[in-house]
Amino acid sequence: MTSARANRARGPRAAARFGAAALLILLTACAAPLQSTQWRAAPPADLSPKVELDTVPFFPQERHQCGPAALAAVLVWSGAEVTPEDIVPQVYLPQRQGSLQLELLAAARRHGRLAYVLAPKFEALLREVAAGHPVIVLQNLGLSWAPRWHYAVVVGFDLARERIVLRSGGEPREVLSFATFEHTWRRGDYWALAVLPPAELPVTAEELAYLRAAANLETAGAARAAASAYMAATQRWPVSIVAWFGLGNSAYAQGQHAAAVLAYRRALSIAPAHGPALNNLAHVLARQGELAEAEHYARAALAADAENETYADTLREIRGRRAAP
Amino acid sequence: MKLMRRMTRGVSSVVLVAFALLSVHLPVQAAMVGTGEVIAQQQGTVDRGQLLEALAREDVRAQLQALGVNPAEARARIAALSDAELQSLAGKLHELPAGGDVLGVAVFLFLVLLVTDILGFTNVFPFVKKTVR
Repeated sequence: MTSARANRARGPRAAARFGAAALLILLTACAAPLQSTQWRAAPPADLSPKVELDTVPFFPQERHQCGPAALAAVLVWSGAEVTPEDIVPQVYLPQRQGSLQLELLAAARRHGRLAYVLAPKFEALLREVAAGHPVIVLQNLGLSWAPRWHYAVVVGFDLARERIVLRSGGEPREVLSFATFEHTWRRGDYWALAVLPPAELPVTAEELAYLRAAANLETAGAARAAASAYMAATQRWPVSIVAWFGLGNSAYAQGQHAAAVLAYRRALSIAPAHGPALNNLAHVLARQGELAEAEHYARAALAADAENETYADTLREIRGRRAAP
Repeated sequence: MKLMRRMTRGVSSVVLVAFALLSVHLPVQAAMVGTGEVIAQQQGTVDRGQLLEALAREDVRAQLQALGVNPAEARARIAALSDAELQSLAGKLHELPAGGDVLGVAVFLFLVLLVTDILGFTNVFPFVKKTVR
């Protein structure tokens, strides 16, 4: 920041700018250093120095429709067939003249895409873009007390020149300095959203956050997409109990009982006393008619948590079926 | 007294609606444990119960409609939100950031933002070119 300002301070307007800077200090309360300046001296060694994703489409934004335009760009990039006009009724709030962050996530799910909110880190953003994933960001282009909220899609960066490339509003290729971009993005609390085909994981994904995103995709009704997300999760985190458990539940929900049994067994090979996996395995085995084995697992679930009413119900149900064939 | 009665009637109708919604959203297999439940346990978040979830759902639906979304679309939009998301939205649809490039620019604000744009702190006006310098 300081070097950039020093550069600009040359010329006849320097004095005016100095006054403006003094005014600015009174107006803004942004004392903390920017993330992007912290690793300026030594950027992460394994990060590509320069990336631009040319395959991300651009939809010029209609009035107040930066949300639909940004979401349409990443959805089309991910292989969905949509237009911003399709998305407007799914995210736009007429009286607010804008779109809420959570509604962008929900709309992505309605198109069978996994919506993952990145960690609020400049580095995470760049890593996703370097991995080929365009990222939607929420910027406050104005000031904290005079906000102008805006969504754009980050499609590239240049570490050496400290530039970031966005599809933004009416501009198919807006180039901003890291500093200006980060100022606007920081006022949006570093909110960044990756919208990916469900079999593809964000490179910066964290296990539980990702699985929650998959579970949300599932409850939104995209059962098959969620199943591939869980499958991808078991490959990335082979010893994740929740990934195998989720895969089991999603297989069961789709009527694939044998696959569900296998997945629960994998979860139990990692954590033998995992009550939910024991309980659900008992359930599916009972559905398959394996009542003796089902009762064994239902008992084990209760042994893990004697107070749990769900487990008690499961055992009661299985015993009832065994008593009255 | 009359006010009390009106209030209790209001409250009870909300509870009724909540219960009606509740019955729709009960899981099909009552004795299966859901994935979301296990994740919530692992993350140490508290399950606030189905009644509160149903109230949040009803609240968000009403607010969406009040903000101009038609009823059928409001239902579809809510169906794609998780319970935790609904609870974080409830009561806040008027205040959360809504990305849409809206700015009520008064004249002095225009000047302030022009200056902050030139300095590269903000990016309101496209005619201020920060990157070509």
